[in-house]
Amino acid sequence: MISMSSILSSRSGLILFFLCLVPLATAYLDQGDYLLRICSTAYLYMLLALGLNVVTGFTGLLDLGYVGFYLIGGYTAGLLMARLGWSYWAALPVAAIHGGLWGLLRGAPTLRLTGDYFAIVTFGFSELLFRIVKNEEWLIGGPNGFVNDIPAPTLFGYELWQYWQQYYHILILLILTLLVVYRLHNSRIGRAWQAISQDEEAAQTMGINLHEYKSLAFAISAAIGAIGGAFFAQFQVNISAGVFEFWESILILCMIVLGGIGTLKGALIGAAILGSLGEVLRISLSWMRLPADSRYLIFGAILVMMMRFRPAGILRSTQKSP
Amino acid sequence: MDIDPLLEITGLTKNFGGVVALAQVDLRVMPGQIASLIGPNGAGKTTLFNCVTGLMAPTTGKISFQQQDIFGTSAHQVAMNGIARTFQNIRLFSEMTVLDNVRIGCHTQSRGYLWAAISRNRAYREEELQITTDAQELLQFVNLENFATQIAGNLSYGDQRRLEIARALATNPKLLLLDEPAAGMNPQETNDLIALIRSIRERNITVFLIEHDMKLVMRISEWITVLNYGQKISQGPPEVVQSDPRVIEAYLGQSAGSNH
Amino acid sequence: MTLFLEQIVNGLVLGGIYALIAVGYTMVYGVIQLINFAHGEIFMFGAYFTFLCLAVLKFPLWLAVLASILLCALMGVVIDLIAYRPLRNAPRLSALITAIGISLILQNLARMIWGAEPRRDLANAKSAFLSQTVIIPGGAQLSYLDLSIIILAILLMVGLNRLISLTRIGKAMRACAQDKMAASLMGIDTNRVIGATFAIGSALGAVAGIMVGMRETIEPTMGYYKGVAAFAAAVLGGIGNITGAMLGGVVLGIAEVLGAGYISSGYRVAISYILMILVIVFRPAGLLGRASAKRA
Ligand SMILES: Nc1ncnc2c1ncn2[C@@H]1O[C@H](COP(=O)(O)OP(=O)(O)O)[C@@H](O)[C@H]1O
Ligand SMILES: [Mg+2]
Repeated sequence: MISMSSILSSRSGLILFFLCLVPLATAYLDQGDYLLRICSTAYLYMLLALGLNVVTGFTGLLDLGYVGFYLIGGYTAGLLMARLGWSYWAALPVAAIHGGLWGLLRGAPTLRLTGDYFAIVTFGFSELLFRIVKNEEWLIGGPNGFVNDIPAPTLFGYELWQYWQQYYHILILLILTLLVVYRLHNSRIGRAWQAISQDEEAAQTMGINLHEYKSLAFAISAAIGAIGGAFFAQFQVNISAGVFEFWESILILCMIVLGGIGTLKGALIGAAILGSLGEVLRISLSWMRLPADSRYLIFGAILVMMMRFRPAGILRSTQKSP
Repeated sequence: MDIDPLLEITGLTKNFGGVVALAQVDLRVMPGQIASLIGPNGAGKTTLFNCVTGLMAPTTGKISFQQQDIFGTSAHQVAMNGIARTFQNIRLFSEMTVLDNVRIGCHTQSRGYLWAAISRNRAYREEELQITTDAQELLQFVNLENFATQIAGNLSYGDQRRLEIARALATNPKLLLLDEPAAGMNPQETNDLIALIRSIRERNITVFLIEHDMKLVMRISEWITVLNYGQKISQGPPEVVQSDPRVIEAYLGQSAGSNH
Repeated sequence: MTLFLEQIVNGLVLGGIYALIAVGYTMVYGVIQLINFAHGEIFMFGAYFTFLCLAVLKFPLWLAVLASILLCALMGVVIDLIAYRPLRNAPRLSALITAIGISLILQNLARMIWGAEPRRDLANAKSAFLSQTVIIPGGAQLSYLDLSIIILAILLMVGLNRLISLTRIGKAMRACAQDKMAASLMGIDTNRVIGATFAIGSALGAVAGIMVGMRETIEPTMGYYKGVAAFAAAVLGGIGNITGAMLGGVVLGIAEVLGAGYISSGYRVAISYILMILVIVFRPAGLLGRASAKRA
């Protein structure tokens, strides 16, 4: 079986150990639940950033609609649980597979085209999904595209609705995702992705089937996004279209850009920073009497500055060779 | 002739809009040979390699490899069939390590897929070990074993050319296509390259190369094909080609043309 | 019948506006193969600059319009200079991400300066003359504003075509679009040509922004919504193809108005996405496109 020590260097193990202790510490704080919620949100973004990184980081294709899979996962799990009474543990894998299938379908028309077309299609696809959940009341159920009263998952008869339970829940999902992505990255498949991102033709002459390996990345990335969405659905209890706007995709993109595109550490760090900073910004901006949306100005500046001065991420100063 | 050709091209034509880059080219490479393709700049040599390796779709013609039709086969399938190549303008995975470049070449030699990569089962671990051993052996073969952990883009020009050869060899080819392997090399490096090409042939790999360095071509080739303006104008052993008036004229014409 | 005719006319007006924006996307893509996501924001600033000149500087309308067009052209050039030019040799992904970033910055800057609420200042400022309507044959009503938008769009498009095919700078643009390396070897200053491309595209975008401002409202997200639709129009016509962008704009404008009228108004915005994806699936080079969509 998986031995944790083989995956995580001792330092990572230590970090993990402390992350596991967090709920014990927050139990003694006034704002403990609020802190746990911020942590859980940051972990969720870390999971999403890892997923986006599979396509945009590993294969080098700009995905401008990653939130689409988050949406698919959220609504799939939400509808299955709230309307059909499915268990979360059944809805989660179905949501992941559903997301993965759409990942394949979305990527298929762009396989023969240049990367720019991929960016366009990803954008159009997620915006279209957004319109659908906003408009199709019969499909989504209640008014304004709401799916509400999503039940909490149960485990051995216990309902997992408390903040510390949600905290461990998303932490475990994140670690499993990290494990899968890390191992793929450091495998024959990961090498093939890297080759594709650097020179598609040279990669082909190495025997790498472009369509196959790109599709694989599309599906895996999408499935991870959908898993994030499924978690989100039960975490929020209600989900509505508003969460899945274009800017959310850009936020996740911003995370991997900040940390350094293509590296796992980068995705995690970028998401940890922006995922928790989001809350801080929301508070400090309102304190400065600026609209909450103006945080996107900061995200935009991050994108521009990083590409110009630190294309390899805040941690690495090495300029990529052209 | 008793033996069948390894690569046989008949009536190969490639048009780019109005430009005819290859016109009805016939050509054979016999197994075990070191063969060369020469011709002035723009003669269509690289285009011929691109057509053979599936990077470009030929307009018409026939290409067979080991008696099998490979016309229009996709590039990755061609590589799987046993044809490897290098590029005129080096195309390494320049941000990856030297070792990883060669390990990518081992792609054709390995099977490990999703479940193997995620579970890291025994078969997978053995395969990865095998890939690494093979890659290291190839680095030794091209004298780059001390650079294994360096970033490929940081190697010197000559080293990059040899790394590209090692990467191509990692696909375990029967036929190796080299596009101007000596370009930009000094005489010492060129001599080493000649030795390297000969030892590649000793590994039972047929070598077909494009080269401008005539001394090199004449020294190692057993068979030479000459292209000019997309047409085959001559072929034969070095002595024959060297004294063919059409070849001399083609090369003189080029230097006269490039002077004005 | 009258309703249908009115919608067609509406679609034409919208199409003219889309076409004006779309050529900006497509020209820039033609010369530097960059999807300039910030172009929609320049269009939006075109409207806000005019509003600013009118309300704060008290310029007469014609001067406000002119100043705004020039400011937008300058803005396009400056964005290229400080944001895109340093990345010309960087990986494609870097420039694309930068373009997204610039778009975010500009949109939120507008929101911080002028607020998120839609403004009708431009619509109110247009002269009484433009508010009059004519009845065209068939019974449909058409405002002078819409009529002038159609006429102006046609004039500008014809002018642009002339510029591209006849003038020196136009020829240089075409040379750069074909092969920048060869163009610079022939003595063309490619950076200047790229700058000119941004200036012309941005100026046309500004005109469209002012038109939309007079016809509808000004708001910080107008660049995003109209920009996406116009970009879809550019894809529809075959990105990089200027005539294609014009045709795409008109097709999309009509499709959008008819779709909203006969299918569902909730999907009004979605129509552009649907058409865009359909074109990429079935005809990636666009209605009039070159084969450049295919990888070499
Ligand atoms: N991708 C391409 N598109 C258009 N023309 C090309 C392309 N590749 C090569 N050519 C043209 O085909 C001819 C042969 O080129 P090439 O095969 O590179 O010559 P060589 O390798 O012998 O120097 C040249 O005229 C070149 O301009
Ligand atoms: Mg060549």
